[in-house]
Amino acid sequence: MKKLHRYLIGIFLTIISFSAFAAEGDPSGFSALLAGISSGVDTFFNTYFGWFVNLIFYSVPVGEAKFPLIVGWLFIAAIIFTFYFGFVQFRRSGLALSIVSGKFSDPNSKEDGEVSHFQALTTALSGTVGLGNIAGVGVAVAIGGPGATFWMIMCGLFGMASKFFECTLGVKYRTVLPSGAISGGPMYYLRDAMAERGFGGFGKVLAVGFALMCILGALGGGNMFQANQAHAMLTYAFDVPAEYGVITGVVLAALVFSVIVGGMPSIASVTEKVVPYMAALYLGMGIIVIVINASHIGAAFSAIFDGAFTGAGVVGGVIGAMIQGLKRATFSNEAGVGSAAIAHSAVKTKEPITEGLVATLEPFIDTVVICTMTALVITIAGLNVAPFDGAGLTGVQLTAASFSDSVGFFKYFLALAVIMFAFSTMISWSYYGLKAWTYLFGEGKAMEMIFKLIFCIFVVVGATIKFGAVIDFSDAAIFAMSIFNIIGLYFLMPIVKDELTSFVARVKSGEIKKYK
Amino acid sequence: MKIKDTPIDLNKAILQKGPKFRSHKVIFEENVADLKPTMSSLWFCLVYIVVGLFLLMLAAIVYHNKKQLDFTLFLGGIGIAILTFGITLVMPFVKQVTFDKDRGTFKNNIDRAVKLENIITFQILNKMVTSKHGLSYPCYELNMLTKNGRRINVLNHNDIEQLTSDAQMLAEFLDVELIDLQHEIIL
Repeated sequence: MKKLHRYLIGIFLTIISFSAFAAEGDPSGFSALLAGISSGVDTFFNTYFGWFVNLIFYSVPVGEAKFPLIVGWLFIAAIIFTFYFGFVQFRRSGLALSIVSGKFSDPNSKEDGEVSHFQALTTALSGTVGLGNIAGVGVAVAIGGPGATFWMIMCGLFGMASKFFECTLGVKYRTVLPSGAISGGPMYYLRDAMAERGFGGFGKVLAVGFALMCILGALGGGNMFQANQAHAMLTYAFDVPAEYGVITGVVLAALVFSVIVGGMPSIASVTEKVVPYMAALYLGMGIIVIVINASHIGAAFSAIFDGAFTGAGVVGGVIGAMIQGLKRATFSNEAGVGSAAIAHSAVKTKEPITEGLVATLEPFIDTVVICTMTALVITIAGLNVAPFDGAGLTGVQLTAASFSDSVGFFKYFLALAVIMFAFSTMISWSYYGLKAWTYLFGEGKAMEMIFKLIFCIFVVVGATIKFGAVIDFSDAAIFAMSIFNIIGLYFLMPIVKDELTSFVARVKSGEIKKYK
Repeated sequence: MKIKDTPIDLNKAILQKGPKFRSHKVIFEENVADLKPTMSSLWFCLVYIVVGLFLLMLAAIVYHNKKQLDFTLFLGGIGIAILTFGITLVMPFVKQVTFDKDRGTFKNNIDRAVKLENIITFQILNKMVTSKHGLSYPCYELNMLTKNGRRINVLNHNDIEQLTSDAQMLAEFLDVELIDLQHEIIL
C-alpha cells in the first residue's frame, strides 16, 4: 500500500511538471486547466468565506472612509495597555536589553538545551522578519500610500505593550500536557487565569473561541498567504505564470508535510539556522538600496509624514491610510493577536516577566525598524504613485520591483529570502494551529494527523488561489483571534501588573542578581 | 601533566534534539544485535530526495523548453540543496550500528569502536526537545558508559516503550546493568 502511494505521488508530480512546461506550445490545455482551478478556488473562498470576512471587518463610516471596528479594537487596546503598564515598553526597555544581553543569567547554571540570550535574540529577530515585512508593507503602501508607514510605526510602538502583556501570561499559565509536551498561549491563560479571577465559565468560552480562530489564522495568514506570496515572487522574478502556483504549492506542501508530519527536528533546526541569514540578507539589501539613494531619504520621510496626515491620493484620505497602516502592522508584528504568546511559552525561564520584556523588542524591530526600511525602499523607488488603489503593483511584487529598481539582481536574493520566510512561517503557524487544535480536540495521533493533512492541502490552495481572496481570508482569520484574546486581556491586567511590580522591586532590592 | 578530575554527569543528555517518532529498533540475530532504521523514518527523509530530484528535473525542463538560465539555476540550486539535505538525513539511518559478540566489539561508524567487555552500563534518559517555533515533545536516549568514562549514544527517539524494551534486551544480551535515569523536567 505504501509503495502504491509513493508511485502515485511520483506519477502525479511528473505529470504536472511535464504537462506544465509542455503547455508552452499549448496554452489552451494545461494552462487553461490550472487557470480554471485557480478561478474555482477563488470563487469558492469568496462565496463560502465572504460572510466571515465581512463580519470580522464590519466597518462604520468615518468621513469618506469605512473604518473596520476590529482595527480600532486592536489599536485602542494597545494604547490602554501602554498607559496601564506605565509605558513599560519605553521605561523598561533598558531592563529588556539587559535580559537579552545576559546580565541576569547565572553563567554557572546553564541547563541542558538552554539557549544563550544572544541565541534568543537571533531567534527573535529571525522570527520577526517575514512576509509581513516584505509583502505586507507592499500592500499597505500600495493601498494606503506612503502615509500608511507612519501608522504602521505607531502601531508597532503601542503594540509593544500588547506583546509584553500576552507573552508574560503565556509563560505564567503554560501547562504540561499528558505527553510531557509544554503547551501555552491564550487558550490556557484565558481558561486558567480567568478562572483565577472568578470568570472561569466565560474564560472557557473565550479560550474555545480563540482556539477556533487560531486554527483559521494558521490556515489563512500562516499558510495560504505565505504560499501565495512565495509563488507571486516567482512570478515576478522569473515570469512563472501565475496559474502554475499549484506546482509551487505541491513542492512547498511536500516539504511542510515532512516537517510537521514527520517531526524531524533536524529539518526544523536547519530552517531556524538559515532564516537569520536570510533576515540579515534582507536587511543588508535594504540598507544598500537606501544608502545608494541617500539623497532621496528626506523626500521619502516627507512623503510618509505628509501622507499620514493628508491622506493624499488614498481612498478614504487620512483614515484610509491609517486603516492600511494599522492592518498591515498588526499582520506583521501580531501584537494583540495572541500567536506570540504560544511561541514564547516554550521558553526556559522562572520569571514570566523576563519573557514579556524581551518580547517587547519584537514589534520594535519588526515594525518600527524593518517595515519602515521596506517602506522607505518602496517610496524612494517611486513605482507606487497616486491614486493608491492597489490597481498597479502590490504586495511582494511592489517590494521586489522597488528593490530591483536600484540593484537589478536583488530580485533573485529576494526570491530566495521570500521562499525561506514563507516556509519557516508556515512551520511556525502549523505549530500554533496544532496547539489550538489539540486544545479543542485533545492529543491523539489520528486527530493531529487530520489537522496536519488539512494544513498541507491549504498550502497548495494558497499558492493556487488569487491574491484578493487569500489576503481577505488571511486578514480576517488573524484579526478574529484578537477579538477573544483582547477581551480576556482586559480582565487579566491586574495579574501582570502585580507580576511586573514584584519583578522590578526584586531587581531593585538585589534579590534578582545581576551577573555582569 | 596534571589530569583534570572531571565528574561524569550521567543525567546530562548527549544529544540536544531527537525525532518525534521511533527511528530505530534493535534486531537480534544469534550473537549480533543490529540497530535497524524504521521504514517511517526513511520515508520522511526520502521526501527530500524526491523533492530535490523533482526540482532538478523541472530545471532541466525549463532550460530545454525556454532556455531561461536564471530560473534554471534558481530551481537547480534549490533542488541540489534539498537533495543534498535529504541524503545527509538518510546517511545516519543507513549506517550500520552493531553489537557483535563474535568480534567482541560495538561499532556505530561514528565513534571509535568499543570492546564489549568495556561497557559498564546502559542508561535510559529523558529530555524535552523544545523550540520556540516548533513542537516541544519528550524524547529519550539510550546511552552506554564505558570503563574509561566514555558515554556513547545508542538510541535516540520518541517511543519510550520500544526504547525500554530494546534497552532491556540489549542489557540481557550483553549481560550489562541497565539504569533508568528518567527524571522530572522543570522548564
